[in-house]
Amino acid sequence: MKFTTNWLQEYVNLDGLSTETLAEKLTMLGLEVDGVTALFEELADLKTARVLSTEPHPNADKLTLCQVGVGNETYQVVCGAPNVRENLAVVIALPGTVLPGNFKIKKSKVRGVESQGMLCSERELGLSEEHTGIMELPDTIESGLSFLEATGLKDTMVEVDLTPNRPDCASVIGIAREIAGITRRSLTIPFSDVTFETTSKSFSVDVESPQLCPRYAGKLIKGVKIGPSPWWLKKRLLSIGQRPINNVVDITNLVMMEYGQPLHAFDFDTLAEQKIIVRTPRDNEKEFTTLDNVTRKLDPDTLMICDGNGPVAVAGVMGGLDSEVTDETVNVLLESACFNSVSVRKTARKLNLPSEASYRFERGVDPGGTLNAMERAVSLMCEIAGGTAEEGGVDNYQGRQPLKSLTLRISRTSDLLGIPLTLTQVTELLESIEIRCKEKDEDTLWVNPPTFRIDLEREVDLVEEVARLIGYDEIPIALPQVNLSYPDQDPARVKRNMISEYMTANGYSEAINYSFYSSEYPAALALAKDDTRINHVDILNPLSEDQDVMRTTLIPGLLENVRRNLNFQQTSVHLFEVGKVFLPNPENELPDELTCLSGVLVGARNGSHLPIHFKDEEVDIFDAKGIVESLLEKLRLYGSGIETGIEFLPTPADSCEPFAQKNYAIDLRYKEQLIGTIGKLSPEVLKSFSIKREVYYFDLNFEMLCSITPAPKSFSALPVYPSVKRDISLVVSADTASGKLVDTVLNSREKLIEKCEVFDIYQGDTIGSGQKSVALSITYRSQTKTLTEKNVEKAHNKLVKLLSETYGGSLREA
Amino acid sequence: MEQELEQLRDEALASLETVSDDAQLESFRVNYLGRNGQISAIMKQLGTVSKEDRPRLGQRANSIKKELEEAYSSRKTSLLPASQTAATDNPDLSLPGRKHQKGKLHPVTQIMEEVCGIFESMGFSIAEGPEIELDYYNFEALNIPAHHPARDMHDTFYISDNTLLRTHTSPMQARVMENQQPPLRVIAPGKVYRCDSDITHTPMFHQVEGLLVDQKVSFADLKGVLTVFTRKIFGKDLPLRFRPSFFPFTEPSAEVDIACVICNGEGCRVCKKTGWLEILGSGMIDPEVFKMVGYDPEIYSGFAFGLGVERIAMLKYGIDDIRLYYENDLRFLSQF
Repeated sequence: MKFTTNWLQEYVNLDGLSTETLAEKLTMLGLEVDGVTALFEELADLKTARVLSTEPHPNADKLTLCQVGVGNETYQVVCGAPNVRENLAVVIALPGTVLPGNFKIKKSKVRGVESQGMLCSERELGLSEEHTGIMELPDTIESGLSFLEATGLKDTMVEVDLTPNRPDCASVIGIAREIAGITRRSLTIPFSDVTFETTSKSFSVDVESPQLCPRYAGKLIKGVKIGPSPWWLKKRLLSIGQRPINNVVDITNLVMMEYGQPLHAFDFDTLAEQKIIVRTPRDNEKEFTTLDNVTRKLDPDTLMICDGNGPVAVAGVMGGLDSEVTDETVNVLLESACFNSVSVRKTARKLNLPSEASYRFERGVDPGGTLNAMERAVSLMCEIAGGTAEEGGVDNYQGRQPLKSLTLRISRTSDLLGIPLTLTQVTELLESIEIRCKEKDEDTLWVNPPTFRIDLEREVDLVEEVARLIGYDEIPIALPQVNLSYPDQDPARVKRNMISEYMTANGYSEAINYSFYSSEYPAALALAKDDTRINHVDILNPLSEDQDVMRTTLIPGLLENVRRNLNFQQTSVHLFEVGKVFLPNPENELPDELTCLSGVLVGARNGSHLPIHFKDEEVDIFDAKGIVESLLEKLRLYGSGIETGIEFLPTPADSCEPFAQKNYAIDLRYKEQLIGTIGKLSPEVLKSFSIKREVYYFDLNFEMLCSITPAPKSFSALPVYPSVKRDISLVVSADTASGKLVDTVLNSREKLIEKCEVFDIYQGDTIGSGQKSVALSITYRSQTKTLTEKNVEKAHNKLVKLLSETYGGSLREA
Repeated sequence: MEQELEQLRDEALASLETVSDDAQLESFRVNYLGRNGQISAIMKQLGTVSKEDRPRLGQRANSIKKELEEAYSSRKTSLLPASQTAATDNPDLSLPGRKHQKGKLHPVTQIMEEVCGIFESMGFSIAEGPEIELDYYNFEALNIPAHHPARDMHDTFYISDNTLLRTHTSPMQARVMENQQPPLRVIAPGKVYRCDSDITHTPMFHQVEGLLVDQKVSFADLKGVLTVFTRKIFGKDLPLRFRPSFFPFTEPSAEVDIACVICNGEGCRVCKKTGWLEILGSGMIDPEVFKMVGYDPEIYSGFAFGLGVERIAMLKYGIDDIRLYYENDLRFLSQF
């Protein structure tokens, strides 16, 4: 909602209120001021002038040579406008003036004759599109004055960001009422409490759908002369950024801004049978051409204004092309009506025709103000457009509601606001904005909200008014008196925070990607047709095609992040994300939302490395496996002495993730169930993401991780006796998993074994082809004694035998 | 024996002078100082001397052994290459320390945790809910019926007629109240979505919702709790104000503004020359919302609030383009 301080001044005295104070007061009343703009500042250098004499330009037919008086000075100006004439009051841009569009005026020669400035058209001043001639100022304006001040254009525009509950303030009078109330000044309104009898004999109004049109008033103005509006009217509209059209239309727009009541002017002589019918379309009425010359499809429930033949306007939204006011219009039927807000909203949406009128109807127009606004417009049409108003008119008010009567408990108000209040105080506050109060009992008021306050329907609405009018600043600051409580922490949340801390401590930064992505990603990830992740939750109205479905995996987002970071020359990218994926669930109204923990690793193992301290090591698959292992150890789900049933298993080549490279894929299983994968991105997938480095990833089901009970922490006594280490090198077939050798050792019945680690794997000339040598280091320890050479020897020999027998390997001398 | 001892000393010291490499030095050590070396041999003979001489000779033997050991180790040092001697072992400590790579939590997570932490310290519990939400919880239960103009305040992504990406965390108000009886103090952090994208809007962002319901909770209490919060997160001295606003699910409603942290309230582009920045929306829970979840508004009252996490991070850290949050550029993430 835009208005200017000069305009507001017409209804309430603003003396002593600076624009800043005014803006502050409005904001603190809940009418948030979004901007304060000094208007037309770019026109500050322009002067008023008067054409003293004119003569034809000696070298050009269409140009006129004018002597122009600016105060006491006289300037010679060449002008091309057809309307330039002696004694005309005009606007002059003297040399040095900069016009809108950064157009600097200079002294120049036009066809050999000096021109010392420019007479301006409205378009050159940025006021309107009018460019058929120079702007004509009222004859009374003296020359040599500041154009802005002399014409009253100097003004300040205030823009208020209206909340949907205050349609009454979508009007300058509404704003003025709030200011008058808070400053306890009086409000002056041109017309209020207008009534008239339905007496018109020239036309009739029939409202077939009163629930969609509670009130419809019309009045006939005869003999108008359509033409440009007078300057003061144009100025009002220009100052709030509206384009003047003609006097009748400008008046309807002005009154709408003034009262918040949209009006529509019909060319009366185009209305068949001199009647107005408010109804929904008949079966054969499928289309309608609005005044913007667009033919629109009509829904059966679109409320239309019709004449004897059919629709002439879409109620509350836009008029029709055939009945609009034109230069030839003589008789105007003025409509002032109140339409159902939901109906107008639906129609404006459907036709995609938001307008100043529909904005107001959608939020609710005061059914009590219909005639006031109409009377104001009628009087202006008579005064400005030379019309004569027909006596009486039509006021079809089938939807009249009884005046609302609410009760307001003072004690309740005090309790809710936390401030002591008295009945007198509350009465005084509410009455300052025309909300009538009457004492019901010592704690209760009868309250009658005015019709324009359609938002006041309940006691709590009045409590809010009281709070607003006292001022939120005046309400004290307290702290709630509550019972001590001891809320449980959400275990998933605790775990997530723990994971995030752990990952960052290990060099991974947290990524957050959009929950939606392109439906093209499944192809980029090479997902198969039967992969559940290609079934997306679709967004009906995506912002763009690359955000059209809800994600089913976090991997594409992370790969996009990798690409971006590599493009910006990062040598190491370690990222993780904890976020939801969305899977359609036909059984349920809502899709399944599953939290995942995924990560990517690229480039240098230690990103903050200095060449002098660290070797140039790049991450590999074991970094990916290692971070997951150590994370699970941190969560006490995995590791030495922890038996939760979690296993890391190399993925068979035929069942690995379609985006992973074969033989570089690991399944994370919990009691057979797949709860995550680790691997290297396949070259094809990396290519489709335009990534030229090797990328490793992990992708875990966070919710499964949360569902597994962590191993409890428990103490075991520290060993008292020393351990003994023995190494063993075994030559086995090259495809033997060394992890199996370790398992065999650890699962053997030998009780003295404490630890077994692979410390070397060797393949080469000294070993047969298809073979490899696996070196194990085995630690023996007894809980009861210091081991002797003999004890260890015995155990070790047994193990060597077991391994050779199990894997058919031979012992290799170290 | 005494003479033998002194002779051995002189001979040993002289021989040490001629040592020129590690091997000669080692043979010196074995010859004189080793377990079977000459000093040991003499010491073993100490048992054979008279009782009167034994202590004196023993002391002398020990002092000679010590002297030779010192001479040996100093010779050993002098034989080391220059770089390995203590005098010249001088690392360039202007080099930076050896650091292992560390990651950073996303700034949104950092702020969200800070916000949650403040409210947890006031006894609020934390609840999370679905991001794809029913129209009912996102709008209807919050007193925003179909075709209400307040729906214009939400640019909604729809999944179907009935389901949508939640436009705010407020649906958690209804979900929590449906499942719990007052008194309650809950906050609900999470992702929310609006179809809007420009320098100040991303289609996904984060909010933290909060509500407190009990008997006799007042607007003054709302002011108190949110004042504490604002001071904790933005510092003690920052001016703040509560300004009337409108949300269909609260009444009275208030927006909380802080003095512009960019211009200190002088007026700038960020605060649109008002000197104030809006940081959260709040209000007393509307009786209609209570009725919808079966609470009696005559018995219970409460307040709710919601804040945008990105906005707080922007103001705290001076981030000027919200789109940076979701590019996950390490040059950005590593700053916080």
